[in-house]
Amino acid sequence: MKSFTPVAIAVALAASLTACSGSDDSADQSTPSGPVTVKVARDPGLDKGAIAAFDERVAQFEKANQNIDIVPQEYNWTATTFTAQLAGGTLPDVFTVPFTDGRGLIERKQIADISGQVASLPYAGKFSPNVAKAGQAADGKMWAVPIAAYGQALHYNRTLFKQAGLDADAPPTSWDEVRTAAKQIAEKTGKAGYAQLTTDNTGGWILTTLDYALGGRAEKIDGSTATAELDTPQMTEALQLLKTMRWDDNSMGSNFLYDWGGINQAFAAGQIGMYVSGGGNYGSLFTQNALKPADYGVTVVPLADNPEAGVLGGGTLATVSAKSNESVQAAAVKWIDFYYMQKLTDQASAVLDAKTTAASKQPVGAPQLPVFDKATYDESLKWVAEYVNVPLAQMKPYTDKMFDQPLVTEPTRSTQEVYKILDPVVQSVLTKKDADIADLLKKADAEAQTLLDRN
Amino acid sequence: MVTETRPAPLVVSPRIQGRSRRTPLTWARGGGLSTLVFLLPLLLVFGIFSWIPIGRAVLMSFQETNLVTPSTFVGLQNFKDVLADPLLWTAVKNTLYFALLALLFGYPVPLVAAVVMSEVRRFKGLYSALAYLPVVIPPVVAVLLWKFFYDAGPTGVFNTILGTVGLGPVSWLQDSGSAMPALVLEATWAAAGGTVIIYLAALTGVSTDLYEAAEIDRASIWRKIWHVTLPQLRGVLLITFILQIVGTSQVFLEPFLFTGGGPANSTTTILLLIYDYAFANSLGGEYGAATALSIMLAVVLGILSAIYFRLTRSWSKS
Amino acid sequence: MSRGILSGSDWRRPRIRRTALGVHGVLLLALFAVGLGPMLWLAKAAVTPTQDTLRAPLALWPNGIDWANLSTAWSRVEIDKYFLNTVILAGGSWFVQLLVATTAGFALSVLRPRYGKLLTGVVLATLFVPSVVLLVPLYLTVVDPPLLKASLINSFWAVWLPAGANAFNILIVQRFFANLPREVFEAARVDGAGPFRLFWSVVLPMSRPILGVVSVFAVIAAWKDFLWPLLVLPDPDLQPLSVRLPALQKFVELDVFLAALAISTVIPVALFLVFQRLFLKSGALGGAVKG
Repeated sequence: MKSFTPVAIAVALAASLTACSGSDDSADQSTPSGPVTVKVARDPGLDKGAIAAFDERVAQFEKANQNIDIVPQEYNWTATTFTAQLAGGTLPDVFTVPFTDGRGLIERKQIADISGQVASLPYAGKFSPNVAKAGQAADGKMWAVPIAAYGQALHYNRTLFKQAGLDADAPPTSWDEVRTAAKQIAEKTGKAGYAQLTTDNTGGWILTTLDYALGGRAEKIDGSTATAELDTPQMTEALQLLKTMRWDDNSMGSNFLYDWGGINQAFAAGQIGMYVSGGGNYGSLFTQNALKPADYGVTVVPLADNPEAGVLGGGTLATVSAKSNESVQAAAVKWIDFYYMQKLTDQASAVLDAKTTAASKQPVGAPQLPVFDKATYDESLKWVAEYVNVPLAQMKPYTDKMFDQPLVTEPTRSTQEVYKILDPVVQSVLTKKDADIADLLKKADAEAQTLLDRN
Repeated sequence: MVTETRPAPLVVSPRIQGRSRRTPLTWARGGGLSTLVFLLPLLLVFGIFSWIPIGRAVLMSFQETNLVTPSTFVGLQNFKDVLADPLLWTAVKNTLYFALLALLFGYPVPLVAAVVMSEVRRFKGLYSALAYLPVVIPPVVAVLLWKFFYDAGPTGVFNTILGTVGLGPVSWLQDSGSAMPALVLEATWAAAGGTVIIYLAALTGVSTDLYEAAEIDRASIWRKIWHVTLPQLRGVLLITFILQIVGTSQVFLEPFLFTGGGPANSTTTILLLIYDYAFANSLGGEYGAATALSIMLAVVLGILSAIYFRLTRSWSKS
Repeated sequence: MSRGILSGSDWRRPRIRRTALGVHGVLLLALFAVGLGPMLWLAKAAVTPTQDTLRAPLALWPNGIDWANLSTAWSRVEIDKYFLNTVILAGGSWFVQLLVATTAGFALSVLRPRYGKLLTGVVLATLFVPSVVLLVPLYLTVVDPPLLKASLINSFWAVWLPAGANAFNILIVQRFFANLPREVFEAARVDGAGPFRLFWSVVLPMSRPILGVVSVFAVIAAWKDFLWPLLVLPDPDLQPLSVRLPALQKFVELDVFLAALAISTVIPVALFLVFQRLFLKSGALGGAVKG
């Protein structure tokens, strides 16, 4: 008789199945007196020096906070994988998001309300108003901490400039000059003179940047109604410029499907003369794409002679995952304060951070916009002056003028979705010779309006 | 399925032995429990990872889900939203275009190759191995490799090859007109070998008596192919046709990795749209829309297959 | 005498013979160029410096061979880690699929319970449901599994377990078992073997052919899997090659990247060359069954 064997097997199977729940719960389990584990975000694709610098900072923090255990986790915000990670609960406890998503995450309560702990930080009231708004809920409580602000910039390859016979210290100051320079680079070196981001929502992002630089805006907010403003003379002008450079001058090379990482890679590899992207890109270009410092130059985005013309600004927020418990949240805020904020406000921390970073041969001193006010920013630059190892002289065209340009915030409603609508518009103009700009903009405007009305 | 007289089951029911009614104990003793134990892996795995998700998909297509608050019932709203999305019709058009091109490139070529290969007398294995090799390459590697081949500059690999015979550089993925054909070209390259092998196997099953009979009637080679080979392959041809249609309607990897749906949405397919609905919005996916679209696709494919089998039943041999 | 379309006398006629051989030759050349060409190019490019690949892609090492690409890919880019992940994922999926298919096939074809036909029907019905329908709900099931209190995201089980729900495997294993000679089972039963002995000592040893076919399908499918691991394994340390390679492209130099691609093809191609007959037989079987 074999009556017991099947029962035994059935029981064993059931037991093994329920025992296999082995995923890592440690972030949520912490006794009040035991060590708290906090998973924190770290950029992906870093070279060994950058990782060493990060680990060093982690060690410094853990030494000062004996009962907190920091676990780094590779993390990168992209529109396509963020939501999957959020839903799956696999985001680190501390992670960064761009300004554009801050309000949305707060409304959906997908990040933790850390406003209490943030309010007790010494500099809580000192954020510059535009910057602070990005991380605040409707009632003004700060759920996410702005850790960096940037304005767009025009990055250019000094080596290609020199090869094309252009003056690397006198980059273009108007869009006509950009066009001429692009043409010359394409003719003399065979590389793309100017390139434009086009995919993964970055197409809309940079097109909006060009729009702002010519005096347009993408959205008009009037109380609670939002109107899409995509079918405007400025948008048309921006697209027309791209069309001319692409089809008449042939100065944009032959590859057009670029996302943020891809265009950085192509630029660092010396295949692009100029492109517009976030002002602080030097860091990523150096650590992730092995840029040769001597190649790098950056200047301000040329603004049209229009009172409305401004530079699109954005920034990064540090947030805490809604799935973390209270002790993890408190520890997370301490980490945010230590890793992201102290170097902006406290001299000793700034120096320590700069020293550690420089010692691992990572960039210190890449240009940024102030999160607080200009005075604080200037002071923090003075503190770390001796550790700056980026080619500041090559960045002069940008740093000289970046504070003179009016900074305009990105469109605030459904930003990423509006950008997504604009991606195909830019792609059409660059890949279809007979693209009808007016028609494309009209359709995009209508689509965006439907979207804004729905939300 | 083969029909056969059912032999006596190995699990003997007490009823056959002339005993009284079945109780749980007699069932367990009679081997019913051990059968259940054997079926446990199937029941658990299929139950949790197949049947319940299918049911859940149907349910979710009528709900709005955002993973934070409980799901709410919204009736047919998801279906209406999907049908009202202008991108849907672009996706349908692109998917049909892909399927059509794939049929054009990938249906006759393997057949011709298989017919030629079936006549090879020496090194037959070499032909099969070479044909099947692209199928063995992991699809992601193949796509990334071809993405590099498709570089649109004059020094791109394919453009260099074309340049040696004097043909100008092609824009491949960078032009909304040529992007889809470029995708189909790679997809065909990767899959044709499998179809060749299937046809080859079917060709060996063609009875040689039929050829001999045709030769008695002094049929030429072409006539033999047309009147013997192809009709004998009818069953396989019909099946691979519908399988190819169903398969290509669900293409995802190529558009996703090659172009992300661009340029200008010219390579956005239905699967890519479903992925975008569910996973591409940084602030939360539209799971209801995604499941609604996938259900609609499944229903359309099901109806298509049913009509197809009905129509071809009279044509194919059983 | 085995023959195809061309009869013996056809072959003896010189014009037909020459044309046939010519066509074969052309086909062979085409197969070399199309089937083998890209692989050979990849092997060459894997050891070529970036600038050479960009400037003169068809040239053969104008500036010498750069073997360092391979070691850089293997260690700095950590292809070895992702390679191992791929192997682990394939191994687990293979095991789960074999377990489910053999036990279910045995129960349905050999033990034949009264509800067997119904169960078979329900299993085969899933063959007609396109896998995309399961994508979202399966993902949510993995995020929040029943029975367990923790999510399976970032755990290999999220890939192994759903792999077992493969109705095609059940179909072919069941057919195979149904065609096994029943006398052997009767004899074993008479000798006092219970179902477990029957399964382990009688049926399994006789099933090597079908187990081989299922194994080939399982390993190939696991090696090729992309979307599902992309969704359920967001942690880069756990990702297999198929998921990691596209992401890596952004940070890695071209020559090292191509070397990584080349390394990723070595095992599948090697397995294919060694087990060629099994692969080709499985491919043909797939078509025959669907027919």
